[in-house]
Amino acid sequence: MSNHIVESLKREIENFKTQIKIEKIGKVLELFDGIAKVSGLSDIKSSEMVIFQNGVMGVALNLEEDAVGVIILGDFSKIKEGDEVSSTGRILEISVSDNILGRVVNALGAPIDGKGLIRANNPSQNSGRSDSESLQTRTRPTAYPIEKVAPGVITRLSVSEPVATGIKVIDAIIPIGRGQRELIIGDRQTGKTAIAIDTILNQKGQNMICVYVSIGQKDSKLRKIEARLEAGGAMKYTVIVSAGASEAASLSYIAPYTGVSIAEYFMDQRKDVLIIYDDLSKHAVAYREISLLLRRPPGREAYPGDVFYLHSRLLERACKRNEKYGGGSITALPIIETQAGDISAYIPTNVISITDGQIFLETDLFYKGIRPAINIGSSVSRVGSSAQIKAMKKIAGTLKLDLAQFRELEAFSQFGSDLDEATKRQLERGKRAVEVLKQFQYAPMKMEHQVIVLYALVKGFMDDIPVEKIKEFESEFIDYSENNAKVFCKEIIEKKMWSDKGEEQLKKAIEDFKNSFLIEKIAPKALSR
Amino acid sequence: MKISSQNIAEAVYRATEGRSSQDLAVTLKRSAQVLKDKHMLGKSGEVLNALQNIFDKKTNTVRIKITTAKSLGLGERNRLENRIKEKYKAQIVVGEFFEKKELLGGMRVEIGDEVLDDTYKNKLHKLEKFLIQGK
Repeated sequence: MSNHIVESLKREIENFKTQIKIEKIGKVLELFDGIAKVSGLSDIKSSEMVIFQNGVMGVALNLEEDAVGVIILGDFSKIKEGDEVSSTGRILEISVSDNILGRVVNALGAPIDGKGLIRANNPSQNSGRSDSESLQTRTRPTAYPIEKVAPGVITRLSVSEPVATGIKVIDAIIPIGRGQRELIIGDRQTGKTAIAIDTILNQKGQNMICVYVSIGQKDSKLRKIEARLEAGGAMKYTVIVSAGASEAASLSYIAPYTGVSIAEYFMDQRKDVLIIYDDLSKHAVAYREISLLLRRPPGREAYPGDVFYLHSRLLERACKRNEKYGGGSITALPIIETQAGDISAYIPTNVISITDGQIFLETDLFYKGIRPAINIGSSVSRVGSSAQIKAMKKIAGTLKLDLAQFRELEAFSQFGSDLDEATKRQLERGKRAVEVLKQFQYAPMKMEHQVIVLYALVKGFMDDIPVEKIKEFESEFIDYSENNAKVFCKEIIEKKMWSDKGEEQLKKAIEDFKNSFLIEKIAPKALSR
Repeated sequence: MKISSQNIAEAVYRATEGRSSQDLAVTLKRSAQVLKDKHMLGKSGEVLNALQNIFDKKTNTVRIKITTAKSLGLGERNRLENRIKEKYKAQIVVGEFFEKKELLGGMRVEIGDEVLDDTYKNKLHKLEKFLIQGK
């Protein structure tokens, strides 16, 4: 055994060849928090990786006349003035392989979950690459640049396939399509992350890879999220990229780009990917910190001039690619935290204008018990119903109308007590719609169940159920429909639309269930009064 | 507008170009006064370096720094300087020679921000990395 080790080492040493080449070296002139000003490095490119004397990596950001501004990606406490810095000639990149799924990595793609190294793909693992590629390349982790130009117009396809979030109000009213960028915006503690996590949980069996990028979050929160995803069996198709609150701003700055590079790796294998940036407000703050330390001129709210480009170039990488250019898609759900509901601040308005719609969460609704606390009036999906299945499209139109009329009448009805029958009916329908759209956290709903419940609502089957009994009716009816509306469910799953036969069966099931529900739950109460 | 050390150095170079020794003394005195007035005396090192670089560029001078484990003989030094002269098409080569035992062997040549490190220490360091990372 020992002989074998000695022989192997001898062989390795014999095979080792050093190529001596001219390297570009600089010297650290000044050092701030996570930023170094370096002299020399005359031919360096923007975003090129550099290595400090103690092995810590950095990225060249500011190319000045006589110095280079470098952000340090790691522990900068051991770097001193006068230390040597060598350029690498490579733009910042990360190593990715299929084995990254189920792992928690840092902003440089290195594992931080204590589960060991992320191995390269096995030759047997189907990486989706062409067969002509050599075995050797396929067994190595693939290097993906962190900064990349977004796919061009020619390579793209319009968004047409839905991302099922499992959240009724989103799937019905603010549908998200594969390749879309939908912003989740709201104050603190309004359930922004909850929507993102529910969406990940609902991707089980939906042929979707998920990337959750945590930027400047507490480690305890991240741990909870990981445990939740693990418990829901979602870590099998999820990667978590983390740049914690205790880490340098430079890592928070590159974390979203690392996340999207991982997403691109899977998209290049023709897969659909969902990426969540939690949250881009902290990302902008990290970039502001870096920019101010690099002495870039501050603009509005002290953010640098290129803060729009910071987010637009990131979110433009989300796309649906056409088959000719490899297929696959990246759907992005960026999150923005507002202060006191102010969506007209600098970063929220920027990201609203970049994305294809927003889900706006409100504190008032949250404390009224309407959860998810989505303000339907301010929320929009610019992709619209083209990202919905046919059945949902048919129901959602009526639902939207019901809710819009309800909102209008609700305000109006507060001023007058005499309301005609039609108005009263609309108000009652609206109340029931709001109740139906409430949903518990971590309880995403299958698309066919959503269609069934919303069908019952919009066709008026729930009009005579008391509002406080709606949730009970809903959950029991879903269980009932599993056996009594099989044809309808099957049609929704397979054909995405119901037939007359399925509809008849569903109508009968709703009537039968409602009668028994009214007798069991409502009549005894009415009699006892 | 912010004045950089490079700006000052260029100004000094232009002001001193073609001056007689008497005028030169006055100009240099004034240059020092400008540095004082602009509160840039702390950056005088940078200004001098920048000025040196300008002169080197004008006179086609290359400065090299050579570090070896054992001191080089005069013949070796001359041979090295000539090679550098040829490679960089320089008229003058100014060499600084240093001795550092921890390099173990070989030589490290520094020309501006370019470094050619052919020392044993560097080779061993690369071997160490190769054996650890398999790179």
